[in-house]
Amino acid sequence: MEKLVELRGIVKRFPGVVANDRVDFELRRGEVHALLGENGAGKTTLMNILYGLYKPDEGEIYVRGRRVELKSPRDAISLGIGMVHQNFRLVESHTVLENIILGLGEDKLRIDFEKHRRRIMELAERYGWRIDPMVRIWQLSAGEKQQVELLKILYRGAEILILDEPTSVLTVQETRRLFEALRRMAREGKGIIFITHKLNEVMEVSDRVTVMRKGRVVITKETRETTKAELANYMIGRPIVFGQKKVSAKLGSIVLKVIDLKVLGDRGYPAINGVSLEVRRGEILGIAGVSGNGQVELAEAIAGLRRPLAGRILLNGVDVTGMDAGKMIELGVAYIPPEGNKLGIVPGFRVVDNLFLKAYRYPPYSNNLLLNWGKMLEKAQELIEEFGIVTPSALSRTSSLSGGNIQRLILARELSGIVGGIPRLIVAAYPTKGLDIGATEFVHDLLLRYKEMGSGIIFISEDLEELLLLSDKIAVISGGRIRGVLAREEADAEKIGLLMSEAVIQAG
Amino acid sequence: MPPKIETRFGRIRVERRVGYGRLYSISMTLLSLALAFLVVALILTSLGLDPIKAFQVIFGVFTKPSLLLESIKQSIPICLAALGLGIAFKMNFWNIGAEGQIYMGMIASTGIVLLHEYYGFFYEWMVMPLMFLTSFLLGGAWCLIPGALKARLGVNEILPTLMLNYVAILIVDFLVHGPWRDPKGYGFPLSIPFPEYAKLNIVLGDPAYTGLLLSILGAAAAFFLLEYTRPGFEIKVVGQSPAVARYAGIHVRSTILLGSFLAGGLAGIGGLSIVSGIIGRLRPGASPGYGYTAIIVAALAGLNPWVIVAVSIFFGGLITAGGALQMSMGIPKAAAQMIQAVIFLMILVGEFIKRYKVTIERPRVDEE
Repeated sequence: MEKLVELRGIVKRFPGVVANDRVDFELRRGEVHALLGENGAGKTTLMNILYGLYKPDEGEIYVRGRRVELKSPRDAISLGIGMVHQNFRLVESHTVLENIILGLGEDKLRIDFEKHRRRIMELAERYGWRIDPMVRIWQLSAGEKQQVELLKILYRGAEILILDEPTSVLTVQETRRLFEALRRMAREGKGIIFITHKLNEVMEVSDRVTVMRKGRVVITKETRETTKAELANYMIGRPIVFGQKKVSAKLGSIVLKVIDLKVLGDRGYPAINGVSLEVRRGEILGIAGVSGNGQVELAEAIAGLRRPLAGRILLNGVDVTGMDAGKMIELGVAYIPPEGNKLGIVPGFRVVDNLFLKAYRYPPYSNNLLLNWGKMLEKAQELIEEFGIVTPSALSRTSSLSGGNIQRLILARELSGIVGGIPRLIVAAYPTKGLDIGATEFVHDLLLRYKEMGSGIIFISEDLEELLLLSDKIAVISGGRIRGVLAREEADAEKIGLLMSEAVIQAG
Repeated sequence: MPPKIETRFGRIRVERRVGYGRLYSISMTLLSLALAFLVVALILTSLGLDPIKAFQVIFGVFTKPSLLLESIKQSIPICLAALGLGIAFKMNFWNIGAEGQIYMGMIASTGIVLLHEYYGFFYEWMVMPLMFLTSFLLGGAWCLIPGALKARLGVNEILPTLMLNYVAILIVDFLVHGPWRDPKGYGFPLSIPFPEYAKLNIVLGDPAYTGLLLSILGAAAAFFLLEYTRPGFEIKVVGQSPAVARYAGIHVRSTILLGSFLAGGLAGIGGLSIVSGIIGRLRPGASPGYGYTAIIVAALAGLNPWVIVAVSIFFGGLITAGGALQMSMGIPKAAAQMIQAVIFLMILVGEFIKRYKVTIERPRVDEE
């Protein structure tokens, strides 16, 4: 098999860390090669080096057997390397066609749109995609946007494709379609590097897998010669337990009752359109769905951050509709926001400031005018210990913490009960998104512990696996409506995916 | 991604520096200052003036006690206004209107004096405290207008604060040309001179000492507010991210109202220090732009209240030096302002270079 790419002894240092430590990696023609590792293992850094975004401090890069030096993505593209980033880089208000030919430099003065349109249609058909090149990007679903990204690099004749966590925004069905297309590309003789931290996907789509941990390659193996458990072991350096985590908690009285709620989204149209649900003490209600279907608006309405248009929210039987965030905090509603590193903390503040971002104004930390930093620092020390936040001190800048530690900080603030004791209701929006396996396990265990202690929990996630792992019931949301509620015993990925897509058919 | 600028000479790359030491930081600032003086020297030489002598005059300002006192006096309104701006800027409230708030403070102080002088409304000992109170309130109210516009209607504060400066300046013009003109002033647009009890000379009989005390008290108050009080914490959160502030249950609107009021109030007291400390009466153009200089001071001091006091005195010195240069060497007053501007520019560039690394990558000669 011809080697498309070979990386030898790549070293990349950032201030304070070695992101890649003498990494060797190869990609053969016609294979899907999974690059597996936790966040911060150095996968993306390595691929950014191959794509010419970073310059390695040491090491050699060979493309099709020839040694090359990549100074910018332009060099990489001219060698037939293409990368699809985790967040799409498309001009939303332009058409598919315009995005694909942007920066192509093939036409000089006049652009032959018709020629490009025909060629793009042909290319898309080859992979079974139905995309109208004249449609504007903002009209597309996440899966379709990804197809445009792939078309963009294929159209430039790339045969070395790098995909950075491509499934994180896709539904089950969309993921399956992507995998089919990737297999097809591999059969055509392209090489595909597939960055992921999901073991299932590695087993499903890849021919070979390279596992990275702490900046080093642990092993490269044929996928069919390994197992999920073995890979997990390589990835985090210890065995992990698969399967359902059973915590017996008696369901108690109804904590939260939402009745026919309607909430406006940022763009001024209803993002939540008549949602009713119930959460009991000691119950985890999972909310499944592709993000952007009203989950965040629902969470914000319950947390008092978004005033409902219609409907009612009852907390322990008391009508709290339209109360502001401060009131909801005092009533014992904990809210773990999506993108915690942006919405849940002030990055420039110290750790202690962020730990007390809500509690600073309540006794014993304040008498309503003056702040008692002594008390706060003392408690912060305890929380850092209890929640295992890795930080040089409580006075360090929060922005210097890793994503997992920032999430621990947010959990410590929301759950530890520094305002008003154990939370009655926990609204957790994508609490494990972007976290590695270790940190994800921590979040899961913590939620289960609070379930045991009697908190009612709304658990919003896109990851069906963890929804099935934790939830007592799973509500499927799509287009701002609950499309069905499944008990844990009857729920599986297939049924949930079907409920999501049924709604799409209805809507479309 | 760091911004990249392509030029025909190569690619300019700007990267954030991850960390730098205090020694590096200080030496960069000193280097910037040295460069500034070098540029000033070049300009003075080209005007046919002796730069060494000019620098002797400038540094003399900080060594001669009488001139140092004058510098401190000049620094008081700058310092108070800059302390207010420090609070506003922490809140991400870009108040360009300290000048107007200073003028409103002068109006309030003068108004109290005139009320007492013409109508005898108060006991004499009440006049000074009332001047402080009203100048704080009126300066604060002046800044509350753009504050309320922002809090209620989401209007950006930059233009309203800036434009209210002209309104305030014109109100002063109207007053001293009209109802507040000194009847014994031969028709000049001046208020009556302030009587002794309305002057800032409680400490050692000199406004400089009293003013320095005022500056230090102001800095202490601003520092305490931001570090040890609930509103101060809320102001900082709102400044960092209104979305996070809302999430934390902070009332963003009332925080903006309070923060803008405090900022304007401090500038208002700065106005008081002009009429009752520096000039001793109200006249048009009583502030030659202290409120704008305060913006520079607050920025250079990194919004730190204690540093603001020091930087204000430095700028007060530059203003005094302007006068001294004019008298001893015949250098126009504008030249002093030019020196200020060059120093500011150099320090600004120095700060940028401190925080970012700029590299130029030469274009490759074709290697094939």
